[in-house]
Amino acid sequence: MNNVPPRKRDVAMVFQTYALYPHMTVEQNLTYSLRIRGVSKAEMKKAAAEVAATTGLSELLGRYPRELSGGQRQRVAMSRAIIRNPKAFLFDEPLSNLDAALRVHMRKEIRMLHDRLGATSVYVTHDQVEAMTMADHVVVMRDGIIEQQGRPLDLYDRPANKFVAGFIGSPAMNFIPATVGQDGLSLVVHVGEPQTIVMDRALEPGRSVFAGLRPEHLHAADAGEGTFRFPVGIVETTGSATYISTATTPEITIVDTTRRSIRSGDVIELSIRPSDVHVFDAQTGMRL
Amino acid sequence: MSEMMRNRLMLAAAIFLAAIYLFPLYWMYITALKTGSAMFATPPQFWPSDPQWQIYGEVWQSRNMGRYLFNSLVIAFGAVSLICVLGVGCAYVLARYRNVWVDIGLFLILMLQVLPASLMITPIFVGFSQIGLLASPRFAVILAIAAKSMPFFVVLVRATFMSVPQELEEAALVDGNSRVGAFWHIVLPLARNGILVSAILIFMQAFGEFVYSKSIIQAVELQPASVGLNSFMGPNTNEWNNIMAYATMYVTPILAIFVLLQRRIVSGLTSGALK
Repeated sequence: MNNVPPRKRDVAMVFQTYALYPHMTVEQNLTYSLRIRGVSKAEMKKAAAEVAATTGLSELLGRYPRELSGGQRQRVAMSRAIIRNPKAFLFDEPLSNLDAALRVHMRKEIRMLHDRLGATSVYVTHDQVEAMTMADHVVVMRDGIIEQQGRPLDLYDRPANKFVAGFIGSPAMNFIPATVGQDGLSLVVHVGEPQTIVMDRALEPGRSVFAGLRPEHLHAADAGEGTFRFPVGIVETTGSATYISTATTPEITIVDTTRRSIRSGDVIELSIRPSDVHVFDAQTGMRL
Repeated sequence: MSEMMRNRLMLAAAIFLAAIYLFPLYWMYITALKTGSAMFATPPQFWPSDPQWQIYGEVWQSRNMGRYLFNSLVIAFGAVSLICVLGVGCAYVLARYRNVWVDIGLFLILMLQVLPASLMITPIFVGFSQIGLLASPRFAVILAIAAKSMPFFVVLVRATFMSVPQELEEAALVDGNSRVGAFWHIVLPLARNGILVSAILIFMQAFGEFVYSKSIIQAVELQPASVGLNSFMGPNTNEWNNIMAYATMYVTPILAIFVLLQRRIVSGLTSGALK
């Protein structure tokens, strides 16, 4: 495909900056590709009206891009891609220039659009939430090299290495230096005092590794029932969840949804299911 | 000193300097209307007591100015067309590609600008006479002016092209257009203003060009107005009112164009420099 000129690829692209033609009205922007293909005027008008109706641009067809808001420009950029009915769509961080609320809204719209059109879409983003929520298949890349690919939940449940594990999920996964215990089935984590957690697989005893613990998998437990204990540093409340940061190095983040009263300076006990413990090699960062 | 006082002072200084700068122009218009004795009166009159309006008709007739101005227009339009056709492509390439050779090319183009016409005319004359171009002297002058003004045009238009985002072109390519099509449909319309302004500036330069025309065009019926103005000059020149009337008729149309398009010209010159 690299040697095929862009115009012969039948790929539509939505640019990060939208790249709308400033000297053309919305309608002319939409129908530009059709004009090049030699579609008749009447058909172009019809196609523009149809697409504009689905993306809510019908009122704006006569305007110039400079007279539109950010969200409207974004919709024009997408409509320009849709109208061509291409084999594949290419989205290059299309939402990164929008404000947070609009981004969540457009995210859903793009996904709905994709479901309706059924054309292959490649969506480039550095927002892991967009990747997780929109994708059927996620490819995580770093410096041009594929780190891992698969379905979103596979990446979440079984990240191939520390980079993917830290990238997917919000807040990010906690990484704690640890040593495999003598039985090969437990980890001695070095945070505050050495404490032991159980994992669900066997590794060679004494190996130094990183334990990867997702904030939402760490549950505050009643006194005496937890697997390990931490002093509490900062408590942030969002309403639906409480973010707890421990006063240890490295800092550990916990997402608590039980609304139990925890305050800075308390010592909390935490539990984690053995199947939720991720283990990465200390040197290579690969999943063990 | 208060802010307002300072602003007023600055304004006064600006007006004073502008007055000094524009005084020769004023003197030209005034002198054209004076009688022979009023021209040499001391102290000079700053407003003609007896304006001689008929002088314009007389000078136009006796000097055959219509023909001179026609020649000037032919030369100016020829040079501008040639420069636009050749320069736009050149500026586009220099705007879109970045490497050592482009840098060298740009440097050479700027170097061309440094050489004065009075220096270049001798080699150009010799060269043109060798290849027989002097047989069509107006075309030879068009060529010479085009060569002289091209760097200026290329540098200005290049800045205009650089202000057109490359993504727009890429979007056009993805939309199914060819490189050339994207240039015609997208880049050229967006750069139109800058190109137009540069062309107007070149036109005004070419309209007043003197050195090449004087040296290359021998036949009176092919000479432009600038050379015609020079033909007044002799060892005992004293018909200043005629000269000024000629100059008035020559310059006023250009001045009018500039005043009318002034806003666009200034904004065109700075576009590309500012985001």
